[in-house]
Amino acid sequence: MKNLDNLFSEKLPHESAEKHVSGLAKYTDDILEPTNTLYAAIGWSTVAKGSIVKIDLRDVIKSAGVCGVITERDIPGINDVGPVFKGDVIFSSKKIKYFGQPIFAVAADTTELARKAVLKAKIQYKKERPIIRIKEALEKKSYILKTRKFSNGNARKAIKNSQHKLIGESQTGGQDHLYLEGQVALAIPKEDNGLLIYSSTQHPSKTQQIVAKVLNQNFNTIDVHVRRIGGGFGGKETQSFMFAAISSLLAKKFNKPVKLRLDRDEDMILTGKRHDFYFKYEVGFSDNGKINGLDIILASRCGHSADLSEAINDRAIYNIDNAYYIPNVKLVSYRCKTNTVSNTAFRGFGAPQASFCIENIIDNISNFLKVDAYKIRYLNLYQKNNITHFGMKIKDNVINDIFNKLINSSNYKKRRKEIEKFNQSNKYIKKGLAITPAKFGISFTTTHLNQGGALVHIYTDGSIHLNHGGVEMGQGLMTKIAQITANSFGIKINNIKITSTNTEKVANTSASAASASTDINGAAVLNAINKIKDNLFSFIQNHFKFNGKIIKYKNNNIYFGKNKITFKKLINLAYLNRIPLSSSGFYKTPKIHVDKSTLKGRPFLYFCYGAAVSEVMIDTLTGENKLLKVDILQDVGNSINPSIDIGQIEGGFVQGLGWLTSEEVSWGNDGKILTFSPSTYKIPVMNDIPKNFNVKIYNKGINNENTINKSKAVGEPPLLLAISTYFAIKNAISYAKKNNKINLTAPATPENILNSINK
Amino acid sequence: MQNEIQFLLNEDVVKINNIDPNTTVLKYLRDLKNLRGTKEGCASGDCGACTAVTVEIVKGRLVYRSINTCIMFLYSLHGKQLITVEHLKKNNKLHPVQRSMIDHNGSQCGFCTPGFIMSMFSMFKNREQTSKKNIDRYLTGNLCRCTGYKPINLATKNMYSYGKSDHFYKNEKNILNKLKSINRQNIKIKYFNKEFFIPSNLIDLKENIKQYNNCKFISGGTDIALEVTKRRKDFESIIYLGNNKDLKYIKIVDKNIVIGAATPINDTLNILKKYYPSIAEMYFRFGSLQIRNVATIGGNISNASPIGDSAPALISLDSSLIIEGNKTRTVKLKNFFLSYKKTLLKNNEFIKEIIIPIDKKSIFKCYKISKRFDDDISSVFMAINLKLYNNLINKIAITYGGMAATPKSAPNTEKFLKRKTFSYKNIILAKQYLERDFKPLTDMRASKNYRKIISQNLLEKFYLELTNNKKITVN
Repeated sequence: MKNLDNLFSEKLPHESAEKHVSGLAKYTDDILEPTNTLYAAIGWSTVAKGSIVKIDLRDVIKSAGVCGVITERDIPGINDVGPVFKGDVIFSSKKIKYFGQPIFAVAADTTELARKAVLKAKIQYKKERPIIRIKEALEKKSYILKTRKFSNGNARKAIKNSQHKLIGESQTGGQDHLYLEGQVALAIPKEDNGLLIYSSTQHPSKTQQIVAKVLNQNFNTIDVHVRRIGGGFGGKETQSFMFAAISSLLAKKFNKPVKLRLDRDEDMILTGKRHDFYFKYEVGFSDNGKINGLDIILASRCGHSADLSEAINDRAIYNIDNAYYIPNVKLVSYRCKTNTVSNTAFRGFGAPQASFCIENIIDNISNFLKVDAYKIRYLNLYQKNNITHFGMKIKDNVINDIFNKLINSSNYKKRRKEIEKFNQSNKYIKKGLAITPAKFGISFTTTHLNQGGALVHIYTDGSIHLNHGGVEMGQGLMTKIAQITANSFGIKINNIKITSTNTEKVANTSASAASASTDINGAAVLNAINKIKDNLFSFIQNHFKFNGKIIKYKNNNIYFGKNKITFKKLINLAYLNRIPLSSSGFYKTPKIHVDKSTLKGRPFLYFCYGAAVSEVMIDTLTGENKLLKVDILQDVGNSINPSIDIGQIEGGFVQGLGWLTSEEVSWGNDGKILTFSPSTYKIPVMNDIPKNFNVKIYNKGINNENTINKSKAVGEPPLLLAISTYFAIKNAISYAKKNNKINLTAPATPENILNSINK
Repeated sequence: MQNEIQFLLNEDVVKINNIDPNTTVLKYLRDLKNLRGTKEGCASGDCGACTAVTVEIVKGRLVYRSINTCIMFLYSLHGKQLITVEHLKKNNKLHPVQRSMIDHNGSQCGFCTPGFIMSMFSMFKNREQTSKKNIDRYLTGNLCRCTGYKPINLATKNMYSYGKSDHFYKNEKNILNKLKSINRQNIKIKYFNKEFFIPSNLIDLKENIKQYNNCKFISGGTDIALEVTKRRKDFESIIYLGNNKDLKYIKIVDKNIVIGAATPINDTLNILKKYYPSIAEMYFRFGSLQIRNVATIGGNISNASPIGDSAPALISLDSSLIIEGNKTRTVKLKNFFLSYKKTLLKNNEFIKEIIIPIDKKSIFKCYKISKRFDDDISSVFMAINLKLYNNLINKIAITYGGMAATPKSAPNTEKFLKRKTFSYKNIILAKQYLERDFKPLTDMRASKNYRKIISQNLLEKFYLELTNNKKITVN
């Protein structure tokens, strides 16, 4: 028989894999709605800024199949779904702050009829000139949050005393989440004023709280269930609240179940995206390329409201070092208010943008010194026990080892020579190569969010039902937690059943975000299990007169002294002896603290490290490009499930690849988004991944902190690895140019590449 | 004349006439049949989450095609079998493609998975070899946002190792018989004030056309369906040409390739590849396989998009159209487009046939530039047709897409180059004439400046490739 202790190294497929491939995995829109369900659609603003002069909804109400409409006046509680700060109004009846701002909603017999009806609204606006772009907002001092100033050491002095300095600016683009399952919610009225909400959200607890406040009811009247979502990536951390709230308002008003499912175009028009950033910097460095000081401005497009922009911009500050030791940093972070959708969480949460910025600075230093960029990167890497600019000692540093190993395993130096040869003999096609490292801190930077809960039941036949606070969005959370449970009880994984994430089972949970869901919820599950195990331990001692201290759960048995009993028998016996077999669990991340006024402290429990080498080819006549080869080495600690972790690394990388190459969010000067459909907004397809795509887990990975199995988080960190593709492109451009000043606007679309060559 | 359509939903015969002709297959599956394994990801044929497979009899055997159910009208299923993801597993046994997907960890959030499974299934049923090219061809119409595609790619590559047969093979005779028994007469369905007409031949089509005002002709319907799914329109009368045997063919007649206007693009590629490999290459990047399986050249032309790729290619090849309606007429494609989205087609006229002259001595090349290589609309498209005589440019036709309100040729440039030596110097000189020919616009796909530079560079590229006898490409 297989040793069940090894569950963690077994390559178990996703717990729902068989259902996924058979079309049997149910998403919110697949749940069979009650027969009297109404279907909703939203009427939204077609201007980006101004005020509403007149709303005439008479034709909407008269439209075929319409049951009724709601506006701001129909909101019993607060007209706001802002998760941290106020400002995300559900329906506006006066001020318009962005193109796509909801004004009213309709409930009708079918989704099609509701969508037809909203088009019949007659709304008059008084238009004003919107602020759309970051530079415009900076000029007009249009900020949504207080400007953050941050400083460590003396950057001005360090730059002044440096042998060289460079001044420059750069920018990163936005990114639509393009989760394949769009935003959707189904709200079903229940007795005692209650409401059951099925929502495609990463944050059931906040959905519950916000809907309750919108309806002016107690939190305990709202139940939120999420079995799985069809992708989130941050786009359903807060952006889902609006739609849960609208379906709930309609359900309340008409006392019928209401489903609101957004059309893809509407989803892309109405919801926030990744923050695009503008950077302006001055860097001082030595002859050898060692950075002494960095004076930098970070400005991001936050959109019309604050949403999560504070934490996102804070994380950008925390990640401006990426994997490099920068002894002196002076930084100003502007959080720009624009008349666009409220930009929000997106895998990496400000860190990829900041990492991109410092990588670009290093790249420019290398071009200035005419040295292969990998040398400058290596030189500036963190060493053991360096202290970051925010005052956290780096104790778990493995980036030097990873970087070195990858330089060797990818044959970087040999390939550099080959590329130079190729480029000499090819006039129009140029190749480029780059390695970039990545470091990513794990924990919510908002300390109180670092808590998790769980509920574990063992039934008398030995089967287990459990719930926890995390949402399954494809990241394999449920699979890992089932493994943790099975491993802890020494039983087979098919004895574990995890059902929907559910505010009735586990209360006051945090969003499934910040890559920390397994760390936090897994530990909460273990806490619940250990409580049950304590009960079982006492029971075994009493019942079997066992004096030993060690009981082992292994191979479906419980071993104590020389005795063993099957798990099933023990559970049944425990039940007959009135031993509790059910428990809740809780976990809070230890050690973390931040001084909110200086942003210094220890915001993270630990760091994840990784590096990637990318090789590309560009066509200097057209700007077309192709990613040829990618080698990745990523630290995931001691993996709980290597195949799931590899999947996260590959997927994160390709998502980052899209962000930096083909995905371009485009806005008109009038504030209308121009790329609101997958026909104009292009995420990577299968042919865009490199033919050679080598992803390896760092085999010496181990978490110094006390996480489950000494594993590390894996959701967000690998996205940063895609930065290597952009710099490989930039490197290829350098072979096509005579001067060493290269400006390449991100994303590196064919057009931006050609512009960079011709500049 | 029948008043209902018939098709097989998986193995069951369905006869239906009591729903709105504007209903898509996806809506029918999800809302009316509660078959919710097929997902809606975009409702515009861009993501593939809604992929299912249709089966038709072609030359006596069953042909499997992956299609986007989100932009296919239900009534166009007449005479076909529709296979949905729920039907792949039988007697609790997973299909080989499903087993391979699980074993390679091909699903994460799982929402795109049914669509991928169906694309893989169609590849499996067509017994395609699992070369990189084939896999890309079958799967670039499916978006996945979680996996980064590698595991899905491997799952497809190795799918035959999970078995080469399936329960569909054993049932082929039965399906053949069931499909054969479906009547191929004309069908007219009335639903309140709406009508859906499926003429089975050209004569009946022409005879019936007179009754309709403002009817919409569809064959693939991959563009027109967006009027319903995105612009919330309803069509009152639709004439479906996809079952019209007189409009579905590709053959060589005299020195021409003649293509029935309702022939799916995918069915034309083998012959086009033989005579004009470059146009076939372009069509492999035209939409996705799901689109090409139903979309037609006739549709792409009559839709008159300034960025449709068929028109510039076919204009450079000096193609003609046969237009049917009250009377039959032949027009040169280059004269067909009047202004933005406007053509010579009058009410109740339709394209019957596309005629492409074969000239083995001419050099024909297409260039398509887009943000993403596959399944993306061109920012600039160039098609050039050149005939040299002793290195003198004897004949040249240069046509662009994405550079004007219609697909448009470059008369000044052509005139300059005609009878000149085919030299690098002359090509570089010709670039400035392109600026006279075009005043491109800026949109979300490209800026006017980029369009200008690209239009020029593509000309240069054409020269360089031809003279060096080597492609200059990253792809």
